Amino acid sequence: RCRPKQFRPPPGQLRGNVKTSKYNALNFLPMNLFEQFQRLANAYFLFLLFLQLIPQISSLAWYTTVVPLMVVLSITAVKDAIDDMVNWHSGIQGSLSCRIVTEKWMNVQVGDIIKLENNQIVTADILLLSSSEPYSLTYIETAELDGETNLKVKQAISVTSEMEDNLKLLSAFDGEVRCESPNNKLDKFTGILMYKGKNYLLNHDRLILRGCVIRNTDWCYGLVIFTGPDTKVMQNSGKSTFKRTHIDHLMNVLVLWIFLFLGSMCFLLAVGHYIWENNKGYYFQDYLPWEDYVTSSVFSATLIFWSYFIILNTMVPISLYVSVEIIRLGNSFYINWDQKMFYEPKNTPAQARTTTLNEELGQVKYVFSDKTGTLTQNIMIFNKCSINGMVYGMHVFLFSLSLGEILLCRLEKVDFSYNKLADPKFSFYDKTLVEAVKKGNHWVHLFFLSLSLCHTVISEEKVEGELVYQAQSPDEGALVTAARNFGFVFRSRTSETIMVVEMGKMRIYQLLAILDFNNVRKRMSVIVRTPENRILLFCKGADTILCKLLHPSCGSLKDITMDHLDDFASDGLRTLMVAYRELDSAFFQDWSKKHSEACLSLENRENKISIVYEEIERDLMLLGATAIEDKLQDGVPETILTLNKAKIKIWVLTGDKQETAVNIAYACNIFEDEMDEIFIVEGNNDETVGGELRYEGRTATNGGEREGQGRFCPKSFWGSLECRCVLVLQAHALEGNLELELLRTACMCKGVICCRMTPLQKAQVVELVKKYKKAVTLAIGDGANDVSMIKVAHIGVGISGQEGMQAMLNSDYAFSQFRYLQRLLLVHGRWSYNRMCKFLSYFFYKNFAFTLVHVWYAFYSGFSAQTVYDTWFITFYNLVYTSLPVLGLSLFDQDVNETWSLRFPELYEPGQHNLYFNKKEFVKCLLHGIYSSFVLFFIPMGTVYNSVRKDGKEISDYQSFSLIVQTSLLCVVTMQIALETTYWTMISHVFTWGSLGFYFCILFFLYSDGLCLFFPDTFQFLGVARNTLNLPQMWLSVVLSMILCMLPVVGYQFLKPLHPLPYPIRTKLKHTASRRSAYAFSHKQGFGALITSGKTMKAKLPKKNSFPYKR
Amino acid sequence: MKRKSQDESRLPDNTAVKQQQLPAFRLQLSANEILSGFFATGVFCLGMGIILLLSAKSISEVEINYTEKCASCAKLREDATHFDKECNCSISFYLPQKMEGNVYLYYKLYGFYQNLYRYILSRSNIQLVGTDLKDVRKCAPFKTSENGLPIAPCGAIANSIFNDTIVLLYNFNSSTHIKVPMVSSETAWWTDKYVKFQNPTYQNLSSAFAGTAKPPNWPKPVYELDEEDPGNNGFINDDFIVWMRTAAFPTFKKLYRRLHRIGNFTEGLPAGSYSFIINYNFPVSRFQGQKAVVLSTLTWSGGSSLFLGLAYLVTGAVTLLASFSMMAIHLKLKERKTFFLQS
Repeated sequence: RCRPKQFRPPPGQLRGNVKTSKYNALNFLPMNLFEQFQRLANAYFLFLLFLQLIPQISSLAWYTTVVPLMVVLSITAVKDAIDDMVNWHSGIQGSLSCRIVTEKWMNVQVGDIIKLENNQIVTADILLLSSSEPYSLTYIETAELDGETNLKVKQAISVTSEMEDNLKLLSAFDGEVRCESPNNKLDKFTGILMYKGKNYLLNHDRLILRGCVIRNTDWCYGLVIFTGPDTKVMQNSGKSTFKRTHIDHLMNVLVLWIFLFLGSMCFLLAVGHYIWENNKGYYFQDYLPWEDYVTSSVFSATLIFWSYFIILNTMVPISLYVSVEIIRLGNSFYINWDQKMFYEPKNTPAQARTTTLNEELGQVKYVFSDKTGTLTQNIMIFNKCSINGMVYGMHVFLFSLSLGEILLCRLEKVDFSYNKLADPKFSFYDKTLVEAVKKGNHWVHLFFLSLSLCHTVISEEKVEGELVYQAQSPDEGALVTAARNFGFVFRSRTSETIMVVEMGKMRIYQLLAILDFNNVRKRMSVIVRTPENRILLFCKGADTILCKLLHPSCGSLKDITMDHLDDFASDGLRTLMVAYRELDSAFFQDWSKKHSEACLSLENRENKISIVYEEIERDLMLLGATAIEDKLQDGVPETILTLNKAKIKIWVLTGDKQETAVNIAYACNIFEDEMDEIFIVEGNNDETVGGELRYEGRTATNGGEREGQGRFCPKSFWGSLECRCVLVLQAHALEGNLELELLRTACMCKGVICCRMTPLQKAQVVELVKKYKKAVTLAIGDGANDVSMIKVAHIGVGISGQEGMQAMLNSDYAFSQFRYLQRLLLVHGRWSYNRMCKFLSYFFYKNFAFTLVHVWYAFYSGFSAQTVYDTWFITFYNLVYTSLPVLGLSLFDQDVNETWSLRFPELYEPGQHNLYFNKKEFVKCLLHGIYSSFVLFFIPMGTVYNSVRKDGKEISDYQSFSLIVQTSLLCVVTMQIALETTYWTMISHVFTWGSLGFYFCILFFLYSDGLCLFFPDTFQFLGVARNTLNLPQMWLSVVLSMILCMLPVVGYQFLKPLHPLPYPIRTKLKHTASRRSAYAFSHKQGFGALITSGKTMKAKLPKKNSFPYKR
Repeated sequence: MKRKSQDESRLPDNTAVKQQQLPAFRLQLSANEILSGFFATGVFCLGMGIILLLSAKSISEVEINYTEKCASCAKLREDATHFDKECNCSISFYLPQKMEGNVYLYYKLYGFYQNLYRYILSRSNIQLVGTDLKDVRKCAPFKTSENGLPIAPCGAIANSIFNDTIVLLYNFNSSTHIKVPMVSSETAWWTDKYVKFQNPTYQNLSSAFAGTAKPPNWPKPVYELDEEDPGNNGFINDDFIVWMRTAAFPTFKKLYRRLHRIGNFTEGLPAGSYSFIINYNFPVSRFQGQKAVVLSTLTWSGGSSLFLGLAYLVTGAVTLLASFSMMAIHLKLKERKTFFLQS
């Protein structure tokens, strides 16, 4: 690291490292406590504690609140501490070596000059100063930023490029950069470099952004302009928000409801107390005079309101939030531990980076996926070709045996050992093509020759015989590599020649012109002079364009080839047509003149050039077509199919262009062949886009919203329209004010593709869906360009194990293969959701049943805030007696096993519709709780009322009654959880029955002579257990309570109609697939201009020049 | 450290817990199991109900409410200034059938709230185990007497002790009245009598309670509760202990005496004419309470409450009805299901 002394950093720039850990040993306790009490629930319990300390209204002993609060606070504190430790470890990651000082990236500051080497990831925005390549060119890959896979070139300004790697010069560099303030525009940069008294204009071609990877460049030096949060990528990544689940929100609403319920209950009881005091209490003063401060029954009732507030607070149990956190933590660990989500080749297990979102995984409705690196592997493979009407490149052969049996036979890899320069990684399965090449088939030779000549690839040969191609797009690389393996090896090029080893023979072609690719032309051509002095034009490009330029004599061949192209396209391959033309020397000279004129013209040059190009790209002779497979990640189509069955909608958001994206969408089943309609929205302004959307909406529903069913849109079971059509969007569609229109159309469609998205636009799309649809969204991506949507979506998933870590570091869940998504959602998500719902229903139920008994008792105890239970029972109920069974349930329960979850993805649907826990379910819990509390109060009451033991002694005393109600309550809630548990592991047994047994042990301990005599005022229930637990009446009462509480539940479950799964409505509509994937060229112009200008030719650097064949 | 862990495989452990593959029993109840469970429960409840009702029927019980019958005494007690005037009240009744076996005498109070929050708390267990007579912290509003001495036993419960005395006379014939022999022992829980309540350890009980005052409502101090029997005096007086075990509901009965089965009464109470002589001290009319005396025999299931028996009977009947209707619905649904399958 070298820092120029006189460098002045622009104002307002911060250091790059970010502090991630919150606590240290000293501040942990106060800070953590402060934070915890900021949570509403904890603050509430603190308030309650203070209430309890007021003797006038205290109706419970202080420890009933303090003990649970302490336990809850300490558990949360431990969890926070562990979380923070993890953060602290992840704070230091990645380091970079530098010639002078090796420094961690986190220490890099604005104004440093750093050295980057090949294949390194840039983690700051850097002004390029110089590089190893001629003209200080630096190749970078921006897949992390925009998903595009082609290489891009950056060039340093000449004044700095002279410094090369001269450290003296570099360290003496004292330029001053003035530039715009940090912003999120990835393709814009303006600045001025003031150096040696001169000003140099800087634009974004000089800037290497964070997230790029240096390619094909041995080293380069750069000046750090922006670091950390100021970098363009980070500016694009949006704000990170604290994510909370729907259940969290629901829980807060419900807790509010409970408060209201609690308040009204207390009010009613206070009114009851007022009436009682007037009618009875006042006259009862002989035996219990009012306190001195009580002057009237109204005042007494006011105090009682608060007393009941304290007693009934267990309706909002303090352990609710901490239990929820424990459950989520546990379920997150399952994700980390899952062997089936471990990716062996990269040695990466799945990782739940957030432990608070688990149950939301079971409710996902929309998945937003990145394309490059997530769905695809970013590897292009030459898969098939059609040469002169013959198809080559079948992977499997079908042998028809008798009676229609079909034998699938996988062919062996073709042996390329005859070719010493072959790429060992290349594999091809069709021997016939090799045989054709060996036989010297003219057309095949010409075909491969055109592939080896017509491109802008640059080759590198550091070790002899080991060629490395630097292609601007991976497609081109794949084609040239294919030609190389079949014996037409592109060896090297200069600005005027191309050296090809043809079947072992070295031939040098003179490069006369490169007619480079652009978006309109959708084709590229090269014109070469063969060693035989023929002039040939080779052209490759999109079939739609090229077939118009063919010579009429190719008619029949064209038809056959078009058929083949259809086949290729339906396999999801990226196709490309190849043609050639033999040029007359005189004609070429003529044309060449025109060309140079056009190139030199000052006005309207682009247009003129393309007219000149068109003149020569005519009457082409068709050679054939290629098919390239954009290799998908393993299991992507299957995963998407499964997710679709689970009614999860998948939207692909990509920065890539439309053709590529649509192609991939077909390949991975987002679009199916029998889809009825593809709507493409391409308009550039509001009006056209709006018009397109409205038109499509109408077409799709076909006026169906009135009739209930449209042409393509059967109403789904849940009442939403589900169309069998797909939508393709361009980024501009988002720019207008058409959000709602867009969303309505998009959500009707089965699949949506959004192309040309900047990172922020991706986030916008997610935000849009989040805003207008009450559905859970999940964003999955691998690169820095996905960070924004990962942060915005309810759940962000990062593909880990890639080079960049941006997406992973910002994600909530990370794993290394897209296909694990189905396991994450359908297995882990579903289980987590079910468990959480079961937990919440049961938890609310048990607390209602527990608390409302006091309300019934109020009617018999003069509304005096007398509790039914022993205070120790109240203290331990949530914390000890019932916590383990419910934790066991919510950590181990499985309603169906994983095989079934995956085989019947439809099981996922109830989660999306929030069916297992919602306000209705909560009301059910409440009613169930009220019923149970009714039974739990009145059955024991009836039993002891006016009753005595068989020896005439007391049974109807308060303490015995407490014990009977407590025991009945625990038996009932234990039975209830036993009914809820569907998956009885050993642990469930131990937890459930163990807790019940433990209750009796604690009972005998708390009511034992020793303890009670030692603290007679704290433990007052001396001997109650011994005297009451051996009574037949008591057990008869417990059994009756259990029967009365359980039977209605069992009966309800028995009679409850199962949710009928929607029958798939198949409206078969024949639709002819007529899609053709155009060749996905890079979006920009290729390297053509660079090549012809000779800038890239390394011949100028003698040390790197090691051509074995000298001219 | 990080580097090191990257070399070795980070494959998660293949344990049953981590892979969520714990061997487990899957609880799936079939329709038949549920229906037979319902039937079994119904039959059990019905049977239990019948047994309980039959045994409750075998009890004979006499309850005499004397609030109205001793109206004059009640009137007298309403005025606290007449506390020193004795008032006796005699209530005659005829027992048509003899009460066999052990007969228990209860007093029963209606509308007396022993379960009020402040009332229940108003006692000092420390005092009652005899360790510290001065500990009256929790006894508000009856902590200390007017002259500042701690009350023993302190608190509202002790102060409000039921202090009527009830004597049962057997009218052998019109002239001879035999006092039915009754004992007060073994009316309280063993744990209460011998663990929870203890007198302060002193040679002389009255000196042990020196420095304390009697509860304001009491006519005499605690050490004079039963001067004949030292095992029944002071805090360990049975009547006192029984009262101190507060009732859960405003209507309750408490065991007062047991029949001492000697002489004429070895078999129980013979049929005939009886009368209660009640020394009326406990005022209830002020708060519209009522008092009653109860004579009762007992069975294995305790007192006279019919509730459990009836509850079981009704539950059993309803369960059986429910299981029949469930079976009907189930069969109907099953029919429809098979219909669907066939079509």
